[in-house]
Amino acid sequence: MALPAARKLSQPVSGAMSLGESIYLVEMIKGLALTMTHIIKNIFDQDRFRTVEYPDVRKSMTERYRGAHRLLLRPDGKVKCVACMCCPTICPAKCITIIAGEDPNDPAEKFPVEFDIDMLRCIFCGFCVEACPKDAIRMDTRIYEINAYTRQAMIHNKSYMVDLMDGLKPPAEEFYRANPDSSPAGFSVDQPSVPVGQPAVNQVGGGV
Amino acid sequence: MPKVKINDIEVDVPAGTNMIEAAATAGVEIPHYCYHPNLSIAGNCRMCLVDIVGGRAPEIACNMVAREGLAIRTDTPNVKKMRQSVMEFLLVNHPLDCPICDQSGECRLQDYYMDHGDYDSRGVEEKVSKQKRQDIGDKIVLDAERCVQCSRCVRFGDEVTGTGDLRLMNRSDHTEIGMFPGERLTHHYQGNLADICPVGALTNKDFRFQRRVWYLRETASVCNGCATGCNVQVCHQEGEVFRYLPRRNDAVNKSWMCDHGRDLVPGIAGLERVLRSRVDGCSVDTEAALGALTTRLKSAKSVGVVLGSQATNEANWALLQLVRKNLPGARLYAATGNDPGSVEYADTLLVDADKNPNNAGLALLASLDGRVGSTAELGSALGSLDLLVVLEDDVIGRLKGHGRPAALAYFGVSKNATSAAADVLIPVCHTVEMDGSYVNRQGRVQRIRRAVNAAGDAVPAWLVLERLGGKLGHAPGTGMVAAAFNAMAKAVPAMKGMDFKALGDAGLQLATDVPEVAAPDVPASPGATA
Repeated sequence: MALPAARKLSQPVSGAMSLGESIYLVEMIKGLALTMTHIIKNIFDQDRFRTVEYPDVRKSMTERYRGAHRLLLRPDGKVKCVACMCCPTICPAKCITIIAGEDPNDPAEKFPVEFDIDMLRCIFCGFCVEACPKDAIRMDTRIYEINAYTRQAMIHNKSYMVDLMDGLKPPAEEFYRANPDSSPAGFSVDQPSVPVGQPAVNQVGGGV
Repeated sequence: MPKVKINDIEVDVPAGTNMIEAAATAGVEIPHYCYHPNLSIAGNCRMCLVDIVGGRAPEIACNMVAREGLAIRTDTPNVKKMRQSVMEFLLVNHPLDCPICDQSGECRLQDYYMDHGDYDSRGVEEKVSKQKRQDIGDKIVLDAERCVQCSRCVRFGDEVTGTGDLRLMNRSDHTEIGMFPGERLTHHYQGNLADICPVGALTNKDFRFQRRVWYLRETASVCNGCATGCNVQVCHQEGEVFRYLPRRNDAVNKSWMCDHGRDLVPGIAGLERVLRSRVDGCSVDTEAALGALTTRLKSAKSVGVVLGSQATNEANWALLQLVRKNLPGARLYAATGNDPGSVEYADTLLVDADKNPNNAGLALLASLDGRVGSTAELGSALGSLDLLVVLEDDVIGRLKGHGRPAALAYFGVSKNATSAAADVLIPVCHTVEMDGSYVNRQGRVQRIRRAVNAAGDAVPAWLVLERLGGKLGHAPGTGMVAAAFNAMAKAVPAMKGMDFKALGDAGLQLATDVPEVAAPDVPASPGATA
C-alpha cells in the first residue's frame, strides 16, 4: 500500500528570498491573517477547539493508543499471567521484572509472585502485549498521565496494574501511599507526596 | 574404518559408529529424540528416518551401523515429509504448556517443530489428557502429558542406575511413563532424568521456575563435589549460578552427574563465605593482610604449611614454590581425607567417598617433595608450631583436640573453625570463580573455568600466593594462570608435555599412575566421633 505523500514541514533554506518575502510586510500580514482566522473560528465554532483546558478537561485518546499497562484477571480472580517470561525477553528497554512462583492449587502451576514495570524505562513499544501468549497484559487503558515524585513510585507493580481499567485506581504514587503493603520495594510512605512551597519541577527523584 | 557418504559428503568413521554420529562428523544434523550416545538404541521415535541411496525403504539412522560404501540422504523431499509427519504424530496429544514448561528454550519439540514441522494443525479431536505434576522423586516432577515416549528415562533406570524404576504403561495414545504405585525414585542420579528427557515431561524440582534457560550462559568446568571430577556446564546469569549440567566426557562421567553435585549450586551463593581479609580481628584489605603475613613469616621460628586438597594444582604449586624458595625451615603437610563428621556417601558409579576434588593433584605434588607430612603428623606437631599457614583446608575442625599453633594464617573460601581461629585470614575464590586445574581420582588433569565474578575481596589462591611470594623476595609470577600451570607441568614428570591450553574441555591423563592417595587418616581424638 502506498503511503500518502508527507506534507512538507519546512522549505529548505536556500538562495535569495523573493521580493514579497524580502519586504516582510506581506508575510507579516499573512501570519496575522492566520492567527485572526483561528480566533474567529474559536469564537464561532467552539465545539472544534484545538486545545483542551487541562487539567479541568482531559483529552480522551483513541482506542489504539498505548497507555499504562494493565494485568488482566481470569474469571476466578487470579492473574492471567503465568510468568512465561516472554515479555521481559522481548522488551527492548528491559523494564519488566518478573519473579515466578509455583501455585500448587492452580492447574496453571506457575504465576508471577512479582511483576514490576519500570515506567521510567518503558518506551511504550507494545512488544510485551504482542509477545504475551495468554493475553495477560494490555496497554489499552489510555492512561497517559504516568508520573510521580519518586523513582520508586514510577515502578508499576502487580497489585497496581491489576484491573487498572476499572477507573478507580489513582496514580501509582497515591495508590502505593494508600496501600503501603502492596507498594514496590524501596517505596517510602514517609516521603511527602507534594512538597510544600516548592515547584514540582525542581524535585529530585528518590534515588535508586 | 568404513567410508560412508551423507548427502554426498564422504567421511571416514570408526567401525561400529551409527549414522547419527557419522552424520554429525560430516556436519549434518539428524534430528532424534530416543537416541542417546550413552544409552542403548531403542529406535522408537522414528525422527531419524533417512533415505538410503539405492535402498528400497527409509531406515532409522540411530540403528544403522556405518559400513563401507553406505550412502544416505537427509535432504530428499521424502525425508522432509517423514520428519514433518513424525512431528505431527508426536504433537498430536502434546499440551500447549510452553508458557509454564521449564523445558521451553531447550525443548526438542520446539526446536524440531521450527526446523522440520511447521505444519497446520489438523487436530479436531480432544487431546488425550494424563496426570500432570506428579511428584515421583526428591528431585523430579513428572508431567505425563508432555512425554513423547522416547523411553530414554526407562533405559537410564535399566542400564545406568540399574534401578529400573520408570516404565512405559498402557497402549497406543494412552501410553504413558510412570512408576509402580507407591514407588518413588530413590537413587542419587535423578537429575540426569531431567537432562536426558528431550521434552518437558521430567523436569528438575530444584530448578523449577527459577530462570528461563535462554537467559543462562554456560561455562565448561568441573564439579568440585568429590574426587571423581565430573565435567559440568555451569549455568549462570549475571553473576548468579543457577545449575550444574553434566558435560559429556566419556573418559570420566559419560553424560551423567550425581545429585550431590547438583546440590552444591544453591550453596555457592549461600555459603558462609569469607569476604574480607582480617588481621587479628580487624578487617583490612588483602594487600595489608599479605604484608602482615610476610612480617610474621619472617619472624616465626617454626613454620608449618598445609597444602589443600580442595585447592587447585596452581595454588598448591605456588605454595610449594613459596616454601622451597623462601621458607627453607618450614615443614610441609598435606591434609587429606574428609573432615570428621562430614557426610560419607559413595557408590561404584560416580560418587567417590573422598569429597575433595583435587586430592590426587595434591598427592602428586606432595610426592615430589619427600618432606611432606601426613595429617596425623600434623596433628601431633600442631601445638609446637609458631605459625601455621593453611590453604583452603579446615585443619582446626579436622584436628579437634590437638592443640593450637601459636599463630594461624588461613587462605579460605568459606567460614569454618579454621577461619574463626585464624589470626591472618585471606579470602580466596570458589571453584566457579576462577581458572585452574584439578586432578581427579583417575589421574586426569581437568580445567576449571571462571563462570562468575569473585565474591567480596576473594582472589584466586594461586594468585594471592604468587603475590605473597613477591613480598617475600622472590620474583612474583606472571599473574597468568596458564603460565603458572605450564611452569608446574615442566617441573612435574607426570605432567610432562602438558600445556594449559591443550587441556581443553576433556582434560588430559597423567603420564604416570596417580600416587597412592592417603586414606582418610584423621587420628582418633575425644572430639571426633565416627
